[in-house]
Amino acid sequence: MAAVQVLPRPKAYDDTFWKPITLWLTTTDHKLIGIMYMVTGLLSFVIGGIFALVIRLQLSQPNMTVVDHETYNQLISAHGVTMIFFFVTIFLTGIANYMVPIMIGARDMAFPRVNLLGFWLVPVSILLYYGGFFTGGALDAGWTGYAPLTEKAYQGHSLGVDFWALSIIVWAISGIMASTNFLTTIIALRAPGMKLTRLPLFVWAQISTSILLLVVGAPLAAAMILVEFDRQLGTQFFTTQGRPVLYQHLFWFFGHPEVYIMILPGFGMISEVIPVFARKPIFGYISMVAALFGIVFLSMTVWAHHMFTVGMNTYVEGFFMLMTMLIAVPTGIKFFNWIATAWWGSIEFTLPMKFAFGFLATFLIGGITGIYLASVPVDTQLHQSYYVVAHLHYVLFGGSVFTIFAGLYYWFPKITGRLLNRTLGEWNFWTLFIGFNGTFLIMHTLGLEGMPRRIATYANPAWATTNMIITVSSFLIAFSVLLFFINVIRSWYGGEIAGNDPWRANTLEWATTSPPPPYNFERVPPVRSFMPLRDLREAGEVPAEPEPAPAPA
Amino acid sequence: MRPRSVRILSINGNQPQGIASPGVDILAAVKAWSLTRLWPLAILPSAFLLGSCEAPGGISPIFPTPVSPNGQGIFNTYIGISIPAIIIFVGVEAALLWVVIKYRRSRQPADYVPPQIHGNTRLEWAWTAAPLIVVLAIAGYSFNELQKDFQPISNYDFEIVVSGHQFGWNYEYPQGFTIHQEGTLAGDVTPFVVPVNKLIRLRVQGTDVIHSWWVPAISGKTDAVPGYDNFTWLKVDRVGTWRGECAELCGAGHSTMQIIVQSMSQYDYDVWVRKQQAAQK
Repeated sequence: MAAVQVLPRPKAYDDTFWKPITLWLTTTDHKLIGIMYMVTGLLSFVIGGIFALVIRLQLSQPNMTVVDHETYNQLISAHGVTMIFFFVTIFLTGIANYMVPIMIGARDMAFPRVNLLGFWLVPVSILLYYGGFFTGGALDAGWTGYAPLTEKAYQGHSLGVDFWALSIIVWAISGIMASTNFLTTIIALRAPGMKLTRLPLFVWAQISTSILLLVVGAPLAAAMILVEFDRQLGTQFFTTQGRPVLYQHLFWFFGHPEVYIMILPGFGMISEVIPVFARKPIFGYISMVAALFGIVFLSMTVWAHHMFTVGMNTYVEGFFMLMTMLIAVPTGIKFFNWIATAWWGSIEFTLPMKFAFGFLATFLIGGITGIYLASVPVDTQLHQSYYVVAHLHYVLFGGSVFTIFAGLYYWFPKITGRLLNRTLGEWNFWTLFIGFNGTFLIMHTLGLEGMPRRIATYANPAWATTNMIITVSSFLIAFSVLLFFINVIRSWYGGEIAGNDPWRANTLEWATTSPPPPYNFERVPPVRSFMPLRDLREAGEVPAEPEPAPAPA
Repeated sequence: MRPRSVRILSINGNQPQGIASPGVDILAAVKAWSLTRLWPLAILPSAFLLGSCEAPGGISPIFPTPVSPNGQGIFNTYIGISIPAIIIFVGVEAALLWVVIKYRRSRQPADYVPPQIHGNTRLEWAWTAAPLIVVLAIAGYSFNELQKDFQPISNYDFEIVVSGHQFGWNYEYPQGFTIHQEGTLAGDVTPFVVPVNKLIRLRVQGTDVIHSWWVPAISGKTDAVPGYDNFTWLKVDRVGTWRGECAELCGAGHSTMQIIVQSMSQYDYDVWVRKQQAAQK
């Protein structure tokens, strides 16, 4: 077996952020497209976060008038749509776009120009949504946009709902393009020796996510088209005279799998991070993959658990309750496997590992409150209350966002060639962990006390203290995210040079330079197990890295 | 490979190390650490118990005391689920803490090489089966409550039609009058009056968009959906006043759609009914 030549960083290509605008606009390089996805996602994170802070100011005390009720409803809708559609999903698509081809030893995605088109539909979708604000008011029926509140009879004064529906249709088309591209890439472009049983778990997670988005993206677009028919052509699908609950079925058939579209790539990142920093292989590789597909299957059979109060037959409710609770089984397998991976390990608590453990500690709470919500009788109390808001932030923020931070701290050196600053990162982690739990742990009690979600204000003085604690903690989150952005910008310019493999990792992306050249690999390394780089290192086939170039002043 | 209970991959041809000793270490260290380091976790169950006796400040890990049998059923189900939930929460968080404390590199010997374990079939089946059993039990327990308190009822004393609109509730009594509970920001809406200890069926209707009728002390939510009737019931066991709110976003006035339920003794209720009938003639 020939030794792999990992060349010093070639000078022939440009690895700085400041590339000509024409290159950014026309590139089909999956890495640059991935970066654009990620930057778009992070900008949406900031915008959605600002909406959240305004919401928290409005709710900090009873009878506040920071914004009027109509504006408040637009803000909560925009916060939800921005965070779910434009931040988490887009960011995760971006990081997969960057990493998946390199992790499987490919030179690019299977359809580079579809990739380009798929990405550029995202800003179109985002601009369409915010365009609604200039037509007399954006969507104001929550991110779920339940009919008939979105119908012409109640939203005739603005085009916000139409802009939202168009935006989501464009978003779904973009997602379907990306999913097709991922699946084709992973099936067709794997390096020699990269059997399916040797795929990194992040790539498996991306396969399952892509299958989910392929299946549920089309029904979402269909629901939005029907809403548009109702509004513009006068049909009666979801109107007061029609069947409003049908909209909920269509929406949640997408909406619940979307939760897993946002968390499965995160699971994949955690499965990459924990083995590297515990210096142990992942525990139960096959059961990890099987659990992913268990979740994919189950997540499409649970949608009506969002609708336990609309009045269904109790046996139908019982079915959806059972299927929902069964998701605890594959999730439990993953959880126990992660703990077993770390068990007996030699764990280095680097920042990615800290965020991974922060994820485990908080996501568990989201999982357990999910069991309460799945139970139909208990759900009739908790549904549409602040308990649900707390639960969904435990899975989306404590889950997805913590994994996103873990993934970013882990892969930032590969993407930029520089490490993120450790001190700022520690501050980022601890303020985020404390701010997050301060905001959302106590929020469960508001729901139990009877505070419904999506109310623009409240008169009950008993809720004032709790809401104030939540608001203060939410600003701690904002401070933490600010630290993170300062860290990203500082480190991108002047961070410590990372080298090819700063973490002594296992997977192929660390076998090339940081950042990788446009063609990813000078020569694709041989793959002999699911930890190819580690095999090479142990066989002595990774030559010592050249001295890092001095940081430019 | 599968039948072997522990799958081990040797590193560089060496025998796996450190596999026998951790078992002994764990037992010794459990005694030393678990009682000292994990004590904050003990706060959780006690906080839960304390909270069940109505915390005044709005911080309570449980619903308000239920005043109707169906609310009591939900309350009991919540407590029932909490038992395995708290055990799992404490167990898994303790395992995480254990890993964080015990297996960090700074606490390991300098030459420590972790055992390269790839899995353990028996363990993996065990933690597939254990959650399965727990969730099947919780699902069965919940389904039992669902059959008990969420079935359509026919033995009710009388029926009141509750209809939601933007933004308020109308209560149509069988005695031929209607109470209009129009929403206000202050929340001092006209009370919906019921007699105590009478099984009353509520026929919940939506007239424009979807609303949801919710009084936490009585029972869960029932959506008011245009196009069909939903049913719930209440049997309030004491005299008093309880608050609720519309729980489904229904427009700009959503937060004004307050609900007040007032229960009266049968005598007071009859007097109140006659007064309403006289007023609405």
